[in-house]
Amino acid sequence: MSERRGGGFWGRLASNRLALAGLIVLVGLALAATFGPGLYGQSAVRLDYAAINSPPTAAHPLGTDSLGRDTLARLLLGLRVSLLVALYVEALNILLGVPLGLLAGYWGGAADFLVSRLADILFAFPGLLLAILVAAIFGPAVTERFGGIGRLLLVAGALSLVSWPLMARLVRSQTLVIREQEYVLAARAAGAGGGHILRQHLLPQIAGLVITSSTLNVAGVVVNEAVLSLLGLGIQPPDPSIGKMITDAIPYLERNALQVFLPSAALLLIVLAVSFLGDGLRDAFDPQTRR
Amino acid sequence: MLRLVLRRLASLPFVIVSVTFVTFIVGYLAPGDPILALMGNQRDPALYERLRDIYGLNRPWHEQYLSYLGGLLRGDFGLSYRFAQRPVLDLIRDGIGVSFALGLAALTLSVAVGVPAGIFAALRQNSAAERGLMALMLGLFAIPSFVLIPILQWANYQVYRAVGSALPAAGWGRPEHWVMPVLVLSAASLGYIARLTRANVLEVMRQDYVRTARAKGLRETRVRAAHILRNAALPIVTVIGPSVAFLVTGAFVVETLFAIPGVGFLSIQAVGQRDYPVIQGTTVLLALAVVAMNLVTDLLYMALDPRIRVDV
Amino acid sequence: MMHSIQRIALLLFILALLAAPAAAQDGTTITWSIEGINDVVSLDPAKASDAQGFTVIGLLHAGLVRLNADLLVEPDLAESWSISDDGLTYTFTLREGAAFSDGSPVTAEDVVWSLNHALDPNTGGWTGPYLLSNIAGSDEVVSGEADTLSGVQAVDARTVTITIKQPSAYFLSQLTFGPAKVVSKAAAEASADNLDQASVTSGAFAVQEWNRGQGLVLVPNANYWQPAAQVSRLNIVFNQDSETAYQRFRTGELDIMGGAQNPIPAARVPEVKDSPDFRTTNAFNLRYVAFNNQLAPFDDVRVRQAFAHAVDKVTLADVVLGGTVTAADRILPPGMPGSELPIEPLAFDPDRGKALLAEAGIDPAAFTLTLTYGVEGDNERVVTVLQSMWQENLGITVTLEPLELSTFSARLNDTYQDPANGLQAYYSVWGTIYPDPQYFLSQVLRTGVGNNNPHFSNAEFDALVDEADVIIGDFARRAQLYNQAEQIAVNEVGWLPLFNGQVNVLVRECVQGVAVTGLFSAYVIPDYSALRGCQ
Repeated sequence: MSERRGGGFWGRLASNRLALAGLIVLVGLALAATFGPGLYGQSAVRLDYAAINSPPTAAHPLGTDSLGRDTLARLLLGLRVSLLVALYVEALNILLGVPLGLLAGYWGGAADFLVSRLADILFAFPGLLLAILVAAIFGPAVTERFGGIGRLLLVAGALSLVSWPLMARLVRSQTLVIREQEYVLAARAAGAGGGHILRQHLLPQIAGLVITSSTLNVAGVVVNEAVLSLLGLGIQPPDPSIGKMITDAIPYLERNALQVFLPSAALLLIVLAVSFLGDGLRDAFDPQTRR
Repeated sequence: MLRLVLRRLASLPFVIVSVTFVTFIVGYLAPGDPILALMGNQRDPALYERLRDIYGLNRPWHEQYLSYLGGLLRGDFGLSYRFAQRPVLDLIRDGIGVSFALGLAALTLSVAVGVPAGIFAALRQNSAAERGLMALMLGLFAIPSFVLIPILQWANYQVYRAVGSALPAAGWGRPEHWVMPVLVLSAASLGYIARLTRANVLEVMRQDYVRTARAKGLRETRVRAAHILRNAALPIVTVIGPSVAFLVTGAFVVETLFAIPGVGFLSIQAVGQRDYPVIQGTTVLLALAVVAMNLVTDLLYMALDPRIRVDV
Repeated sequence: MMHSIQRIALLLFILALLAAPAAAQDGTTITWSIEGINDVVSLDPAKASDAQGFTVIGLLHAGLVRLNADLLVEPDLAESWSISDDGLTYTFTLREGAAFSDGSPVTAEDVVWSLNHALDPNTGGWTGPYLLSNIAGSDEVVSGEADTLSGVQAVDARTVTITIKQPSAYFLSQLTFGPAKVVSKAAAEASADNLDQASVTSGAFAVQEWNRGQGLVLVPNANYWQPAAQVSRLNIVFNQDSETAYQRFRTGELDIMGGAQNPIPAARVPEVKDSPDFRTTNAFNLRYVAFNNQLAPFDDVRVRQAFAHAVDKVTLADVVLGGTVTAADRILPPGMPGSELPIEPLAFDPDRGKALLAEAGIDPAAFTLTLTYGVEGDNERVVTVLQSMWQENLGITVTLEPLELSTFSARLNDTYQDPANGLQAYYSVWGTIYPDPQYFLSQVLRTGVGNNNPHFSNAEFDALVDEADVIIGDFARRAQLYNQAEQIAVNEVGWLPLFNGQVNVLVRECVQGVAVTGLFSAYVIPDYSALRGCQ
């Protein structure tokens, strides 16, 4: 097991070709989502009655959906929504799940009891009901001030309040192991404070797990947003999201498979890019993993 | 260890009361009620008020909750609104066996394939085979079930057209009814478990004691068997714990699209219909499952690594 | 992508060969899918609450009267009836020898007990109190002041009288419906489970098996007064999702699928519409938009008319929805009694719409409409088209507000109770339970009635429907009055009609004796002895 090269975090990341590819794809997707709709110019919500479920044509390079809306324009705008929601939900998930998991795993005792029982309760709690309540109470006001995306973030935020326990339990399980390792016990015996142990030993070691788990969750977030749309709690029509485009096109799968394939491919691309970049990040945090 | 089990059992009432209370409050405040849901777009204001009275929905909230809790203490889960006053326990009993069997079959398949795939990928890190395998796993993971199912159905229909017989498109009761639902249900968790296993094995492989063990001159394979797998199992056990609970109520897309009489659909339908007693019933069921599975996983932690302590 | 699909197909092929052959098909079994539910809530006619449940109950239980394939009332358990001159008292004579599936006779006592059971709110159902409220004494039973209906009496073992509060041309139609079916008093009093599980039935079939969450196995009831059906079994299969039912139909598992509320998926219609199994008829339902008449500016009839003139319904129905529905210019669906008289529509005329908006003093650029709808089926596609048409044709801004179904019901209820804080406009559907114009006019648009969520109010309309509702016998005269009322509702945009659904169903060609109608239960079996399954 030899250290291959130095160059620090970024150097190690850059030397991992798959991770680099993942990063480039993600940056590309983010740029497309940010500037694409403006550059492409076609409306994502304009209906073209003459081109319903149309295959690719000069006017619609990637075809149209069941209302004659331009698929390329919807993909670009949908990427924006889906990437934003995925980033937001994963950030909340990490912000809530990691500290609480560390707390429960490292300190144990009363902290573990409180966090773990809260996690049990939230695991069982029907989050959908909370989403319905929050959308009904705060939805109209939020929609008025921040538009449909505001309501979507509101609902997704409410669901994050009940979805962090899995992350917390993962972190807790890893922390339970690490805190009993010889070097951690040694550091503690040598009088190292909680902060030192957290920075030097805990965070680097749970980073891999957190990255793997949250990169995988990205797919779940994109799909769940589409499921929420089926209940009127997702993106506000007529705006698209990647997941919504898939559910909209599914009834026409056997006649217009391209319209299912394109957003599904976009979803797969996001998941692959995020996962490969995640692997690279994990390795970069941790030079010794590389052989 | 016995103390841990006893402590967890002692915390159960706390968990149940808290989760039913929060669920009750959220349900109480959420717009709509079971009577409106039943009547759909037909309205008769006088009848509506009368039915709310009869069903006790006009009582103050604390009375409603306390009477539910009182029933629960006596083992009475209440009566469903949606299902014409059928006992909630009957409804759950009808579906729980189906959901559990289906979920277990799917989980077994995903662990049986996902864990070896993840270990293989970690041991062959950065090989072409590893990359192909992981891309496949990610693909399975990323395809939503509502896409996978119509594709399977289409393929199945092509078989039917070609040979005049195929798998049943939906339904429950015969062994062949299991094939498509189990494939779909396990696809997503298969990818998840494989990826997580790979990450953990990699993590454990570089940890101090592995290097120490190696330094002591143990044979490579024994290092792998003894240390890596045992320690890498931890997070996987963590994920599988709640998965068991969720496979029971989380399979609602599969249950809906394959017309399977499980409790997953029941729990989602209850939320949509504001069928409060059924919402509470499935929530209590899930809480029991979660507490039990978390206890089992914590016990497994300690069995896998005797240094681990879990005190509460 | 194609490669992996081929591989999946191969895998399924191998699995299919391994699978045991399906249970041998009994030559006279009919397998009938009912969509949109995963189970019936109860087989007690008084407790069923959806169209699907009533379809099953119609097979199991008979009423005093029933509808034939032309949707006219005909005798069922009652062989004849007479109506008093004031139109208030109906005297029914039960069929000689009418019997339940257990062989016991159907008596007047059973009829009295069944109607009391259906109207008692403690039973847990709502359709009885809702639809049979014209029976004298119903208010007292519903409010709990009385235990029994004063208006329903057994004169002797074979004679029942029903007294109603006001003369009604459609009371007999109401009696054909679910909650008025007759159940066995003796069986019900022996055990409540007997009612829920229909251990004893009065109709053409009896229950052999109920697989919760999956379906029912029915067998012909030899004691029904009509010669028994020529099938050995009727397998009822529940499919929550219509697409699932379609998959089961096309892999040979089903004989009948589709209903009025859950027809075969619209995306599938093009591939089956030339099949001999495909049957279609106009559904007696209407999709519409309603504007809150008590919320400015929709209290101004010109604003409502402007929106009506700005919808191109033909494009909506024929192009976007692919002709799986029919554009509607009026409130009564085609084929409904009364719809044969013409109505002058508010034609598609965007310029007229713009002018009306200007006349009402509305600045389109500053006007935002929020259109609310429940998320279900094709609703989102329809409102998206409406949004586009109104924005384009009127120059206003339209915001779509999707709501989860129960939230939508609650918001409609709020709109009814407190219009000032209610919805501005909503998209919804109305379907009839019995074939009478009353259900589409007086029941929904008369001032103050429970279903009048948009608070439409027009004195002339009210007077016309009030007069028409109580005329007995002279349908031509009633139809005239309803026609005038409907014209007012169209002109004043009580509702903005958009399109009528179609009952698109698949019935294997070899299944005989099943008629498809526009009613919300869709199927009528006019003569059970003519029912035949596939060989």
